[in-house]
Amino acid sequence: MSARGVNGASVSANSTSAARVQDLWRARPRSKLLRATCWSLGLWTLYAWFSPEIGLMDFLDGRRFSNLGRFVETELVPFPLRGEPLSLAALSTWVADIWNRIGMQSTLATLQISIIAIVIAGAAALPLSMFAARNLAASTPFENPSGREATWRRLFWTAISSSARALAILLRAVPEFILAFLLLAVLGPRNAWPAILALAMHNCGILARLGSEVVENLEPAPLRAMAAVGAPRRSLVVFGVLPLALGRNLLYFFYRFETCVREATVLGMLGVLSLGYWIQDARAKQYYDEVFLLVLFSVGVVLVADLVSVLARRSIRR
Amino acid sequence: MASHSHNPGPLPARPGPFGARRTWLLAIALAALWAAHGLGVTLSGLVPSGSGLNILGEFLGASLSPAWDYEVVVPEGTVALPWKVLDALRRTLIFAASGLSLALLLGFPLGIVASTAWWKNHKGARGERFHLLKRWLNPTLFVGIRTGIALLRSIHEVLWAVLLLAALGLNSFSAVCAIALPFAGTFAKVFSDILDEAPRDSADVLRASGATEAQAFLFGLLPRALPDMAAYAFYRFECAVRSSAVLGFFGYPTLGYFIKLAFDNKRYHEVWSYLWSLIVLVFVLEAISGALRRRVVVR
Repeated sequence: MSARGVNGASVSANSTSAARVQDLWRARPRSKLLRATCWSLGLWTLYAWFSPEIGLMDFLDGRRFSNLGRFVETELVPFPLRGEPLSLAALSTWVADIWNRIGMQSTLATLQISIIAIVIAGAAALPLSMFAARNLAASTPFENPSGREATWRRLFWTAISSSARALAILLRAVPEFILAFLLLAVLGPRNAWPAILALAMHNCGILARLGSEVVENLEPAPLRAMAAVGAPRRSLVVFGVLPLALGRNLLYFFYRFETCVREATVLGMLGVLSLGYWIQDARAKQYYDEVFLLVLFSVGVVLVADLVSVLARRSIRR
Repeated sequence: MASHSHNPGPLPARPGPFGARRTWLLAIALAALWAAHGLGVTLSGLVPSGSGLNILGEFLGASLSPAWDYEVVVPEGTVALPWKVLDALRRTLIFAASGLSLALLLGFPLGIVASTAWWKNHKGARGERFHLLKRWLNPTLFVGIRTGIALLRSIHEVLWAVLLLAALGLNSFSAVCAIALPFAGTFAKVFSDILDEAPRDSADVLRASGATEAQAFLFGLLPRALPDMAAYAFYRFECAVRSSAVLGFFGYPTLGYFIKLAFDNKRYHEVWSYLWSLIVLVFVLEAISGALRRRVVVR
């Protein structure tokens, strides 16, 4: 919030209520950055819609909707039901066949890939977040009064926390899909590691950032007290920061797990045996009914992960 | 505060050996073991083969020297590489902005009707018309809306792109919708959560002084939730940029398209030009959204 709050000095003691409201309106908190961002994003959006790449007029072409109708009415209809009356028996044998042939195995693989990935990400992000937290990775952690303050020490710790932050940014700036594409060329296809590593790297960057914010927002009093009576940094971390930050870190862990499952589905399209592999396979054969069913499987596994994540977060928060 | 120093009171009970955190940590460890066993991954899979090692070395070696000019001979009249990179960035940002704006347009109203705050009936509030509207849009619809939102957001944007590509073809419409639909679902979910967690005090005061429910919602509750919503929307723009870049792998002219093309042709320095431009863009967006969050969201 800006310094000029609602109760700031600029509100004059005017007696009429209309003028008072006007004064309050004039003294409302404002942010130049917020305005500048809103304006530039708004103008950019306007430009985007009218740019030749989108072409607003071309966008709402009626032909598009007839194409959509044809796609839904013919290609999305399950193969055994095409030109036949709706029969639940035929539909369920078709679903069961695809589930048994590829669905179950690849749905499980999707889940397993994301579990391994998020565990690696969480395990790597925990130490990284400690080094990235500006209050812990400082020459005097938590500004304890007994700390030694020398210029070179300060520079040393600033360098450490800055490089930890830079590493986290590098990891999370590149999307998982692009990371997996690059790793696949290195590690070879039909191997789950490119997908696992891509997910782990990206999520490690995100979790490290969130984790460092958790440490920075911790109530400093108990940690400062520990530091003041001479606790070295490692005991501060093990007996102070970790127990205090674990709860929130677990919340973030489960929040990212959910997105991890969603992403793991798609990474299969590059050649890893998750659901996406078979989606890409069916797509190449133009079996769009099968593509759609596999997408529904992915919805199922994402919703299961969502449920686990919500349950876990609820019980941890309590 | 002073009274605490005289009488600290009993300490909170120490949680048993199987508190929520420990149970979940154990569950995570077991799940990881099950996953590693089921997937059959071994550490040997992490070691690149000979050719993979070559690619890794060449690719990482190129990281600190991104190309400023094409690595191969290009036909006369091709624009210079920096301009091409900037143009790819521009297209990425165009799809991100149009997709996100459409997502906001769909997600904001959905988020409002999906919040429990919208459906709750308050005793003594005026506004018969609003009540009628709610009775008309009965709770079955509430469940329907929530299910629809879950469907929208649990399908990944790339899967939306696959479906829409088949239905609509390779054009801006399918790209924009592929981003807009899942993002609308996420907006709806997060906005409804924010609305439900927003402080109710102003709305209660308005209602007590005779405002209708619609007025209490619009002028009491919504303004308390808007800063959080705005901060979240800015953060999602960054995600939309990443998604837009990835859609390039499916033929749209965004960053991913050029990254894939350059990588497949082993022009690693060019790949890094695109990658670094994406990294810098994400860094700038993140810095702005972080600064905004600190200013806008009051905690």
